[in-house]
Amino acid sequence: MTAACVFVTLGILVFMLVLGLPLLTPDSLHLIFASEWAPDRGLFGVLPFIYGTLAIVSLSLLFAVPLSLGNAVLIHLLLPPAAAGLLHRLIKMMTGIPTVIYGFVGIFLLVPFIREWFGSGSGMSILSAGLLLALLISPTMILIFVESFAAVPAGHIRALTALGGSLRQRLFYLLLPGARNGIMTGIILGIGRALGDTMIALMVAGNATARPESILDPVRTLTAQIALVMAADFDSIEFKTIFVCGILLYMWAAVLTLTLRFLNHGSVKSGFRGVLS
Amino acid sequence: MQEKIIEIEKLSFYYEESRVLNQISASFSRNSIAAVIGASGSGKSTLLTTINRLCDEVAGTRVTGRVKIMLDRQKIDIYQPGISLPWLRRKVGMVFQIPNPLPMSIYKNLTLPLKMAGIKNRGLQHDRVERVLKDTFLWAEVKDRLREDARTLSGGQQQRLCIARALILEPEVLLLDEPTSSLDECAVAEIENLLLSLKESCTLLMVSHDLAQVERVADTVVEIADGALVGSKDKV
Repeated sequence: MTAACVFVTLGILVFMLVLGLPLLTPDSLHLIFASEWAPDRGLFGVLPFIYGTLAIVSLSLLFAVPLSLGNAVLIHLLLPPAAAGLLHRLIKMMTGIPTVIYGFVGIFLLVPFIREWFGSGSGMSILSAGLLLALLISPTMILIFVESFAAVPAGHIRALTALGGSLRQRLFYLLLPGARNGIMTGIILGIGRALGDTMIALMVAGNATARPESILDPVRTLTAQIALVMAADFDSIEFKTIFVCGILLYMWAAVLTLTLRFLNHGSVKSGFRGVLS
Repeated sequence: MQEKIIEIEKLSFYYEESRVLNQISASFSRNSIAAVIGASGSGKSTLLTTINRLCDEVAGTRVTGRVKIMLDRQKIDIYQPGISLPWLRRKVGMVFQIPNPLPMSIYKNLTLPLKMAGIKNRGLQHDRVERVLKDTFLWAEVKDRLREDARTLSGGQQQRLCIARALILEPEVLLLDEPTSSLDECAVAEIENLLLSLKESCTLLMVSHDLAQVERVADTVVEIADGALVGSKDKV
């Protein structure tokens, strides 16, 4: 099974390398990693899409991490069991909502709101996409955080409570340090989901090919670029650049996966030591 | 006659609709060791958790009756509204059946309760750490490895560390829920000697299954069956 997974994973990489090969020469790479995308003028720079992707993913994390941690603390620590159960079920349900539904919410509610609130541009922007992606990735992150909190040994919680520990002290001295690896795992999975999302980026990010100057500017992400070019072209240089975009996304995903494996290995090796050790 | 530090009056404890403790009334003298005995599931451990209100942490529980404890020279009904639970639990320490050192160094295990109680002075923290480790006969064994993970200690040492951790807050009452049941004979003897020395400074209420141990260390014995008090006697 493991061998099959390795074979398929490496096979996908080889497949993309072969398809992107014509553009993987030093001269072509120089052309690809330029800062302008204008195929009609022979410019095939994908840097604006890299900037767009990183901007949206970073912004979505900025919103999603505190939102998810807050919700996980509410569910695990603060709410009465009935309310916590209800919120937990609601969040589980949110993980099953198709991305396109979030996209509709974005187009008809969030984008007009951003346009009105800031009074400039179309509202389709890094901010709109970042907020919506945060909403998309938060449920998964919340569920992982809650699970990580629940994995902190009950004996430790009882010990701390019997020593007069308050809920706040329980959170800061036990739950957060104890769930540290789980929290990192949730964040990394969230990054992965945000990086790979196409629909929200297509629907609310604005799809501009220029390098963004502010969070109110429209951008195009790597995934949106792949989807848009693929739908309109075949066997041109423009078309081949999407494989370079794909290789970049693949490499980012690989780095995230390796980080995750490293974290899990570290947690098994050292156990939970807490912030105070 | 010794002053009564804990007075329990018609205490009943319910878990949802099921009554776990039934109208228990008992009192315990200052600077004594009281043993609570009874069959498994009779409610002994539950009785302990009603005395520091750790039972409140379990959803669906309810208590009727009163528990009065002499704390800071005042007899306080611990179930009256407005009682600070962190304060109560610092005054009424607890040690569990299975040693549960926190996943941090030996030193931090001992200073964490002080930090949580707002005692941040490092000199004072260090003095207290040294004192409780000496009181629990651990100082000689761990003084050179205070920065090591507490979980590297032996079972008996871990339990003595947990007792030291409870004592560092200078509680007036110490609750012990079968503190020796998971330990070997040698460690049991160490803990028993420790308990006998501790009653000079606080009142101990201990759940035990081991009648020989109760005979060796307890001044008072109360017996519980099916959640009700069925016997109580002072050994002296």
